[in-house]
Amino acid sequence: MLFFSFFKTLIDHEVTVELKNDIQIRGVLKSVDQYLNIKLENISVVEEIKYPHMSAVKNVFIRGSVVRYVHLPASAVDIPLLEDATRREAANQAGKAK
Amino acid sequence: MSFFGFDSTLHNPAAAGFSQAHNPFAGLSNRDDDADALEFEDTYDGLGDQLDETDDAFNDDTFGDTVGPVSSRAPVGKDFDFFGQTANVANAIEEEHVRFHRQQPVAKVVQSVQQQVPQASTSATAYKFAPQPSSYKPARTGYEKYSQEPVAELQVDAALWGVAPKKQPAPAPVAAVSPAPAQTATPPATSTPGPTGRKMLSLEEVEAQMRAQSKKPVALSPAPQPQVQQQIQHDHGYQYSQPTQPQVPAPVDHIQHKEQSFHPGHGHPVTILQRPQSKHTPPAQPLVQPTAHQRQPPQPPPPQQQHQLHQLHQQSHQIQHIQQPQQIQQKPANVQILQNPNRLSGDVANLGLHAHPTPPIPANYPTHPVHQQQNSFSRQQILMAHPSQLAQLSEEEKMAYMDQEAKRAKRNHKIFLMSRDNGIMTPQDKNFVTRIQLQQLVSATGNPNEHGTDESLAEDFYYQVHNQIQGGGRQHPSQPLNNFAQTYLYQTGSRQGGPRRHNRGPENHMQRMEQQVQRAVEAAKNKPKNKQLVIEGSLGKISFSNAKTPKPLLNIKRNDSSNEPHRPSSSHKQPQHGTDKRSELRTIESIYTTLMKMEDHDRIMPPPPASDADAEAIQRFVAWSNDAQALNAQLWKALRIHDHSSAQIHPFIALLSYRKGKKAMPRIFRHTTQEQRTTILTLIVVNLDSLDVVRNAQVTTGDIQLNAAMRENVELFSVAVMSTLFNFLNELGLDLVAGVLGLVCTRNVGVIAKSKIGVSMLTMILSRAEIIKHGGGGSEHDWRAWDATYGQFFDLIEPSLPHIFPGTVNSGEDVYVWQLLAAIGIGASPDQQQRLVLAVKDRVMDTVALSKTLPQDLASQRLQNVNLFMRSIGLDVELLQ
Repeated sequence: MLFFSFFKTLIDHEVTVELKNDIQIRGVLKSVDQYLNIKLENISVVEEIKYPHMSAVKNVFIRGSVVRYVHLPASAVDIPLLEDATRREAANQAGKAK
Repeated sequence: MSFFGFDSTLHNPAAAGFSQAHNPFAGLSNRDDDADALEFEDTYDGLGDQLDETDDAFNDDTFGDTVGPVSSRAPVGKDFDFFGQTANVANAIEEEHVRFHRQQPVAKVVQSVQQQVPQASTSATAYKFAPQPSSYKPARTGYEKYSQEPVAELQVDAALWGVAPKKQPAPAPVAAVSPAPAQTATPPATSTPGPTGRKMLSLEEVEAQMRAQSKKPVALSPAPQPQVQQQIQHDHGYQYSQPTQPQVPAPVDHIQHKEQSFHPGHGHPVTILQRPQSKHTPPAQPLVQPTAHQRQPPQPPPPQQQHQLHQLHQQSHQIQHIQQPQQIQQKPANVQILQNPNRLSGDVANLGLHAHPTPPIPANYPTHPVHQQQNSFSRQQILMAHPSQLAQLSEEEKMAYMDQEAKRAKRNHKIFLMSRDNGIMTPQDKNFVTRIQLQQLVSATGNPNEHGTDESLAEDFYYQVHNQIQGGGRQHPSQPLNNFAQTYLYQTGSRQGGPRRHNRGPENHMQRMEQQVQRAVEAAKNKPKNKQLVIEGSLGKISFSNAKTPKPLLNIKRNDSSNEPHRPSSSHKQPQHGTDKRSELRTIESIYTTLMKMEDHDRIMPPPPASDADAEAIQRFVAWSNDAQALNAQLWKALRIHDHSSAQIHPFIALLSYRKGKKAMPRIFRHTTQEQRTTILTLIVVNLDSLDVVRNAQVTTGDIQLNAAMRENVELFSVAVMSTLFNFLNELGLDLVAGVLGLVCTRNVGVIAKSKIGVSMLTMILSRAEIIKHGGGGSEHDWRAWDATYGQFFDLIEPSLPHIFPGTVNSGEDVYVWQLLAAIGIGASPDQQQRLVLAVKDRVMDTVALSKTLPQDLASQRLQNVNLFMRSIGLDVELLQ
């Protein structure tokens, strides 16, 4: 749940989602769920020339499984907190695995 | 014209070439180009002239195209239209037939027309009904049948049932056919024929007719009976087997009834019912005809009636589906309508307005074919209330009326369509679905009851804490409340002010929902958490997933052995070879783990007991304190402050060489006692020259050559560690500060002073002492100790002073050095100040000289830096310029 928890805090921030088919979509993160499906609004494709079929699209819903990377806005990330959250997550997982 | 610079003029398009079809006329066109064109006349062989066209005149014989007037040609053009022709003949025959019956008193005719009207109107949806006098024959298109008399051809030959076709004008054969059923049907009144007929028209009716007449002269042309009949034939859904049937017998029954009981203009609601069964009754039809109408001379209906028919026709769709058992006729219209599934209820109400009480009808009616006619007759009346009424309406009113009707019908139809699915789900089903949805909601967002608890924090730590920080600026979450499920499910509950069980109504519904959620959550919690299912003998295992933990793809079994070296919790147990990177990192992790535990522990701190009487509170607090102390001890142990092995570098200092080790410092200081902090400070100062940020960040007088990583390290250290120490040092007394400075003196001051961190540390210590002095703090004894230490320190650092500046004068990054010099200068004796000036004189002069070549703002900044030092010893840069 760490990533879900993390991405929830990025809602209403602009992110760039890089898909496994190399399309990079920049848009405002509107929603994310536990499968890390992502809803973006106001999108623009980074290499618009290459993907003209996307030029008319304004909102997208991206299935989590097709996401390769999400480029984060650094200013919106609380790194120490994220580190701690990661530690807690690791501890949780370790506890569960036991 | 040339593309791509290709000169097309060089290309002879007429010339044959590859991929070019041979153009036999290429030569010709060439010649044309030469203006040597051939005339058509020159090349024409004149074969066409030899054609013998003289016998073309016989074409007419062949194809029937006579030279005569257009009108005479019309029949020829129709030749192909066999269907239409036949139908025409059929119509003519039927017309004759009807005409025969029409020759009754006018009144009967009128009513029969009215009766027909509704039927005709029923056909409206299917066909465009264009009543025209049969005599009027427009140019034929071949499609007349479809627009004018669509149903006519569908008429079933009565002979099929062994009945002579009605077309035959002679009534004789008809009469011969089964007479029995008809007799029962005929009411006694039937015998009274024509005489009353005409008179039955009301004044309004007559007026309406006259008005209509004046409006539509075209329609007025004498309409032969057949027209009407044909119109009647169209029935929307059902094709009546006997076209003539409704009209013919109708006069018999209805007229009599009407005349006797009520005004012909008003229909009664009952009549709405029309039966599809009429199809089956055709054989009976002939019987009626002879009995009722034979004696009456055929009489064409008044033109007005036709006109009315048009109007009525439009409304016909409303009645299309009416099929009712005839028994119902006697009941109020509403009842009948309800029985008919296809019926539009809206019509009923409307019709009811115009409807009159149902006239008494003989009980035997239902079975009789004649009734159908009555039905149709009354039906018309219902629709229109009255043909004349409609006629009286202005065009706009009519339009509005139609519009309204259509709208209502549409709406009713919609309702009907939707209502088909009514009750598909029982309330239990709905409940069930709701519960599933809520369960999903809860599992997706977590149990609202758990929010703020450790469990929810563990699952959603980042989000919740982040929100706290963003929102409240608090460092740590207390009880975050912003949650989806809470907002939607539990807030509404609290708004209602707790359980009000007896309250029936919408709130109750809400509460029940809440309870459901709670139960669902309970159930979900109690459900044994089987994460996976291993079927005996199978090679794989089936993993279950839920919303919270999507399917785990990796199932790694961990050994439970606690001395397994991979687990962070065990890391601090292995101090044997404590200097390798791996164990150091593990140590840092254990520190963090402990820190987080302590932070969690802090959050559950019970309020300190208000009084000694509250034993329970005291106990709780004591228990908490014990836990806190245990955690503190754990942390202290993890820090390995006292864990000095034979290694060259103290383990704690080694931890500080890692980024996360540095970053842990502020938090460590928050959870340690004053004594422990002092120990840490001491430890750091003692090892100052072995800190990586000091050791590996020595400045040179040449170019600045710290690499990026080291600079980052230094930056982080000053932010994380130095600021922490600075805050701590600012709380220390002079004695401790002097002690710290004394510790520095035991180290390699030269090395320390040549690093930014070291300089900062020295500045920090010295300035703290100065601040204490300004504040009047410190005992005499302490000051003496301080002065002694300071003297020692000065002696140690003096040789290094010229070399502690980073880079050349030009680099301009020496502000922190000037700060140190200022700190030294303030506390220095006049003698020491002089030595100080001598040591750094070159740098001062260089800087001043440089500043003269720099732009104004840069120069002033440099000079200001120097001035920090100069002023501390009572000088000013101005004096040097």
